[in-house]
Amino acid sequence: MDKVWAVIRREFISRVQSRAFVISTVLGPLLMGALFMMPILLEKRQTAPRHVVVLDAAGGDFGRQVADRLRTEMRDTVTHTIPRYRVEYVAATGRLDQVRDSLVALIGLRRAGPGALDGVLVLWDSTLATGKMQYDGANVGSPNDMNALERAVRPLVIGARLERAGVNPDVVAAAQGRVELRTERVSQGKLTGQSGDASFLLAYVMSFMLYLALLLYGMQVMSSVVEEKSSRIVEVLVSSLTPFQLLLGKVVGVASVALLQLSIWAGTAMVLTTFRLQVAGAFGASPRTVSDLPIPTVSPAMLIVFLGFFVLGFLFYSAMYAAVGSMCNSHQEAQQSQTPVTLFVAAGLMLMFSLLGEPNGTMAHVLSLVPFFAPFVTPVRYSLSPLPWSELLLSVLAMVAGLVVVVWIAARIYRVGILSYGKKPRLAELARWVRTA
Amino acid sequence: MAEAILRLDDVVKRFAGHTAVQDLSMEVPAGGIFGLLGPNGAGKTTTIRMIMNVIMPDAGRITLFGGPASRSLAARVGFLPEERGLYKKMRVLDHLVFFGQVKGLTARAARARSREWLDRLGLADWGSHKVEDLSKGMQQKVQFISALLHEPELLVLDEPFSGLDPVNSQVMKDVVVDLARQGRTVLFSTHIMEQAERMCDRIVIISRGRKVVDGPIGDVKRDFGGSYVALAFGGDGARAAPVLADRSLVAQVDDYGASAEARLAEGAGANQLLARLVSAGVGLTRFEVVEPSLHSIFIAKVGPEAATAPAREELIHG
Repeated sequence: MDKVWAVIRREFISRVQSRAFVISTVLGPLLMGALFMMPILLEKRQTAPRHVVVLDAAGGDFGRQVADRLRTEMRDTVTHTIPRYRVEYVAATGRLDQVRDSLVALIGLRRAGPGALDGVLVLWDSTLATGKMQYDGANVGSPNDMNALERAVRPLVIGARLERAGVNPDVVAAAQGRVELRTERVSQGKLTGQSGDASFLLAYVMSFMLYLALLLYGMQVMSSVVEEKSSRIVEVLVSSLTPFQLLLGKVVGVASVALLQLSIWAGTAMVLTTFRLQVAGAFGASPRTVSDLPIPTVSPAMLIVFLGFFVLGFLFYSAMYAAVGSMCNSHQEAQQSQTPVTLFVAAGLMLMFSLLGEPNGTMAHVLSLVPFFAPFVTPVRYSLSPLPWSELLLSVLAMVAGLVVVVWIAARIYRVGILSYGKKPRLAELARWVRTA
Repeated sequence: MAEAILRLDDVVKRFAGHTAVQDLSMEVPAGGIFGLLGPNGAGKTTTIRMIMNVIMPDAGRITLFGGPASRSLAARVGFLPEERGLYKKMRVLDHLVFFGQVKGLTARAARARSREWLDRLGLADWGSHKVEDLSKGMQQKVQFISALLHEPELLVLDEPFSGLDPVNSQVMKDVVVDLARQGRTVLFSTHIMEQAERMCDRIVIISRGRKVVDGPIGDVKRDFGGSYVALAFGGDGARAAPVLADRSLVAQVDDYGASAEARLAEGAGANQLLARLVSAGVGLTRFEVVEPSLHSIFIAKVGPEAATAPAREELIHG
C-alpha cells in the first residue's frame, strides 16, 4: 500500500508542479470571471439609448404611434427608468428614398458625437397591409436589439389592422396586455428559487467541465503510461509493484489532480457568485443588472452527484486510456490510437445536449444506465429536473458495474501491454491478452 | 562455493518465432561479482527480466534467496535495466526518493541516502534540477543510484557501463567493486570482455539462449587450456604476419595490427615462436606467455554463432 501511495504521490506532485497545471488552473477562473463580467460590461456600454429615426411613409396616424411607443420602451425591466430609444419622427411621404439615403449616411458616424444615429425604421405605405417594414442600422447583428424592436412594433401593426376591421380600440388595448412567463425549477417537490435559464446554464457548464476534465486528465493517464513504457521505467516498477497497483496509483494520482483543479474552479465560481454584487460594484455595474443574471445556485446534493459521477466517469475512462497507452510505443502512436475512447467522451457530451430539451424522456432514462454516457447524462438530468432516488441509485449501480468490467479488461491489457514492444496488437491479439493475462 | 543467492534451473523462455533462453541453469553465489556475458541477442536481457520478475519463464524454476522469485523480495534486489529511462520532467532528488519508496524505504530515509549518493557521485549540486537538464552520463548515474538506494543484497545491472565515458565508467566500477567488498552480490551483464575479465569472480557466457561457459574466471581460463602469447610490435607488424600464419607454430591469432594474441599450436613452444620472430626481424616491444584472455575464450566459444544474432526480442507476457 505504501508503494501505491508513492505512485499516487509522484503522479500528483509532478503534475501539480508542472507549468501547464498552474496556467490552466489560473486561466479557468479568469475565463469564468470574464464570462461573468461580460454581460455587466456590455450592459454598461449599452446604457446609452439607441438613437432611432422613424421614417414614416405610411401616412395616417400609424407612424406617430410607432414613434410614441418606442419612446415608452424601457431597457431596464425592473425599474423602468432607462429609456431604450431616443426617437425622432420624420414624415416622408413622397420623397422617401432621398430622405432615407441621407439618414443612412449618418448612421454610426463617430464624429457626430452623441447625436449619431443608430438606425432608421422605415414604414412603407404598404406596411399596414403587408406587415412589412424595414430597419437599417448598425446594430442589426444583435438578436437582442432586433427582438426588442419587433416586440415593440408588432402589437401596433396588429392593433391598427384590428381597428381597421372595426374592433373597439379599448378591446384591442386590453387584448394586447403583456404576457410574461417566469420559470422556476422544482426539485424534490420544492421550489428552488432558480430560474429555468439558471438551471440550463448549470447543466451546460457542468457537462463542459466533465468533458474537459475527462479528456484532459484521461489523456494525461495515457501519456504517463506511454512515458513509463517507452523509457522502460515500467520494468523497474513492475519488479516491485504489481501492474495493477501501478495502474491504481497512477489513476488515483491523476484523478486527485483533476479533483484539485475542479475544486479550485468550483470554489472560484462560488466566491464569484456569492460576492457578485461587490464584484459587479467594483466594475461600476448596478446591483440590479447583476440580480437579473441567470446565476445558478448549486446545492450540496448537486455537488455530490456531480463529483461522484465525475470520479466514476474518470475511473471508467482513464482505465481505457491507460489500456490504450499500454498498447503503444510512442506518444504519437497513442495519439492516433485514442480516437475510439475520445469519440465516446465526445458522444457523451453531444447526447447530453440532445437531452437538455427532454431530460425525462425514454432516451434519457436509457442513457443514464449506459456507463459510457451516464457520467454526463445523469448529473445533468439531476440538475434539470427532479430525479427519483431509485433512478439515481440505478444509474450509479450501472456505472459501478460497467466500471468493474472495464477496469478488469483494461488492467489485463495494461499488464501485458506495458511489457510488450513492437507492433501494436490487433483486436484478436488483444482478446488473447485479456484471456491469458 | 558459497550458498547460492540466485539459482536458475532449466529456465526456458520462448517468444513468437524463436527461443530466447533454452534450458539455462546457473548459480550465483552470495557475495562477489558475477558476470553474465554473451553477444548481442544472446538472451542476457531476457534472463535478467525473468530474474527480476518482469516476465515469467515458460518452463524451469528461478530461486531467489532460497525461495521463488516474487515481488515481495523487491526490497532486497536492485535493478538497473538495459534501457536508460527516467522521468524527464521530475527533479533528480524527487525521482530518487520515489524509487526509494517504491522499494520500501521511507521518504525521509530515501531523501537522506539520495543526498549521500549524489554527493559521492559528484552530483550534489544537481538534486533540485530536472532530470532532462542532466547530461546522459549524469542521468545514467542517477539511474544507477536509484537501483542501489535501498541497499539491496543483490544488485542486478543490465549493461551498466554501456555508453559511459572512461571517467564515469571508472566511478561506477569503483562503486560496484566497493559494494561487492561489503558482501553484497552484483550480477551484471555485458558484452565487453575486458571489463568482465577484470571485475568478475565468476562468469557465465550464453550464446543464442544456451549456456556455453560457466565457472570462476580462473577455472574457465585453465579449463580452456592452450598456451597463449601476447605480442606487441614496434611498428613493423607486417613482418610478423608470415610467422604468425605458420599453422605448425601458431594455431590461432587475434591480430590487432600493433599487437596480437596468439595461441600456440600443439607441440610448439613459446621459444620457437620467439626465435622465428626475431630471425624475421620483427621489432618486438612485448613478448609474454599469458593465460587466454576472456576475449579469446569468448570468441572461440561463441564466435561463429554470434555473427548471426537472432532478431530483436518481442516480449509477450506468458
